[in-house]
Amino acid sequence: MSRAAVSADSVPLCAASPLRRWVGARALHLLASLRLTLVALLLLVAAVVYTVVMPGRITWVLALPLGMLAFNLGAAVATHPAFRRHTALLAFHLALIALVLLVGAGRLTYLKGQLELSQGEWFDGELTQAEAGPWHPWRLHQVRFVNDGFRIDYAPGVRRGPTANAVRWIDAQGRQGGGSIGDHHPLVLAGYRFYTTFNKGFAPVFVWHDARGGVPVRGTIHLPAWPLHEYRQALDWTPPGSDLRVWTMLQIDEPLLDAQRAFQFRVPERHRLVVRVGEERRELAPGERWTLPQGTLVYERLTTWMGYAVFYDWTMPWLLAAAGVAVASLALHFWKKYAARSWMEAGT
Amino acid sequence: MTHELQLLWAALGVYVLAGTLAVTAAVLGRRPERSVLALIVLGLALHGLSLGLRWVRVGHGPFLTMFEILASNVWSLLLVFAVAYWRIRVLRPSAAVVMPILFLMMGWLLMTHPGEGHLPPTYDTTWLYIHVGFGKIFLGAVLVAVGLAGVILLRWGGLAPRAFTALPGDVQLEELAYRFLALALVFETLMLVSGAIWAQDAWGRYWAWDPLETWAFVTWLTLVFAIHLRITLKPKPVLGASLVLAVFGLAFLTFFGVPFLSTAPHQGAV
Repeated sequence: MSRAAVSADSVPLCAASPLRRWVGARALHLLASLRLTLVALLLLVAAVVYTVVMPGRITWVLALPLGMLAFNLGAAVATHPAFRRHTALLAFHLALIALVLLVGAGRLTYLKGQLELSQGEWFDGELTQAEAGPWHPWRLHQVRFVNDGFRIDYAPGVRRGPTANAVRWIDAQGRQGGGSIGDHHPLVLAGYRFYTTFNKGFAPVFVWHDARGGVPVRGTIHLPAWPLHEYRQALDWTPPGSDLRVWTMLQIDEPLLDAQRAFQFRVPERHRLVVRVGEERRELAPGERWTLPQGTLVYERLTTWMGYAVFYDWTMPWLLAAAGVAVASLALHFWKKYAARSWMEAGT
Repeated sequence: MTHELQLLWAALGVYVLAGTLAVTAAVLGRRPERSVLALIVLGLALHGLSLGLRWVRVGHGPFLTMFEILASNVWSLLLVFAVAYWRIRVLRPSAAVVMPILFLMMGWLLMTHPGEGHLPPTYDTTWLYIHVGFGKIFLGAVLVAVGLAGVILLRWGGLAPRAFTALPGDVQLEELAYRFLALALVFETLMLVSGAIWAQDAWGRYWAWDPLETWAFVTWLTLVFAIHLRITLKPKPVLGASLVLAVFGLAFLTFFGVPFLSTAPHQGAV
């Protein structure tokens, strides 16, 4: 009985298989259509132009035409005999599929962020700004590096020269290292690439003694970027554990920037820190303190801070390899195709 | 600076002479090709000297200001065209189409202030030269294709009926034009890849959809579309030629129009 039942069931299946195979082959053929490629390319152009108008939704707007192109390409590679005849053409299109898949994987796992470190401060894995793919592994806590200060020379006209930022680091295996990073030379740790940016400035160092007791807290505030905001060197901030609103302004008492001459970014030797709490105002020199009802604020010294951009995308070397294969195979395909037949023979 | 500008003016004068000769000869059905080539080469030499003197004086290549971008592109476009003109004799009459296009760029160049820019540290890399070099070959290849496409369209429009009679048929010219588009596709791809490597080093991201990146990608897609359309639908040469013009228009806007939209050719040039 059981065998008969199986046999009875299998009859219509056997009969439907050629039909299904035909339908499947027809669907694959339609999916592989070069006309569909043209439609998908037009859609991709439209999507890219749309992202110019609506820059916030790039990933999802591009996903549809890119996905369409990837399926179209995959089906074309599977069905078109031209790909079997022309290996270079096949390699080019496979590299394009790989590029689309890698970009997709990259978007799921990437990280792009910003951070700022005062001179002497260690990076503790915290970013001031970050955007990441949903599957980013978040290994930033394995990364440790310290900003040991930077040197930037300016040409006349406040034209920034190269940045040389001294850093020391401890990698994921606990090994220590040191060196200089800057334009075109990022610090690469655990797959994260740290770049110096044009964003940097002065950082007053304070110690806050809370009137209620406890351990004094040392910290820095990062004044607006210098020399970009030369005349806006002020900031509102709140000492830790208090509700005070402290307005702080750096008063530089020496010519630090001469737009007509070359100069170097440096901490001013003569300066004062103008501090205002409520209606009260003080000018503090390094080492001076101001006792307030909530605690005592000690201004220790002035140092600098550097802004960094951090980027993580494990697909980058693979993207480069796929792009290399794509362009080499494209060039080879065209070379072989055009060398085989003179252009004068076209139409004959 | 005076010598640079004098040399540039002299070069532009020689180019105009070459172009006028090419157009006049095409209209009259003559072919003074050696004279046109000699004038273009002379212009290139003077122009190259002008660019070189400026390079030495300002300490960086012509990559920054619109004056530098236009001056270097007029030179590189003419260099690519001169090589094609020298090697492929049959396309020589297309100089009558190509030179007037370059006249427009030369006119624009003359109206642009020749002031200097400052090379930001992010531009101080070999990848800039590689990226710009690939871009120039790309645009040059498209320009040669445009010359051939222009001939097809002029013949189709019945303009200058005596001008291009000695040239092969439209089908052959279109085939040659698309071979140059294929070359352009390879070099635009190289331009995008090398640009991404530079951007990763300079700004910590290989792609950020800045205006120039976006429009360069749109140009790449249009180029791919044109090549695919020709393979798939096998359009008549007139449509194929029109697509070549569309690609050139988009590439031209990307190279020279986008800098009007953004203050720097790429973000981060601070």
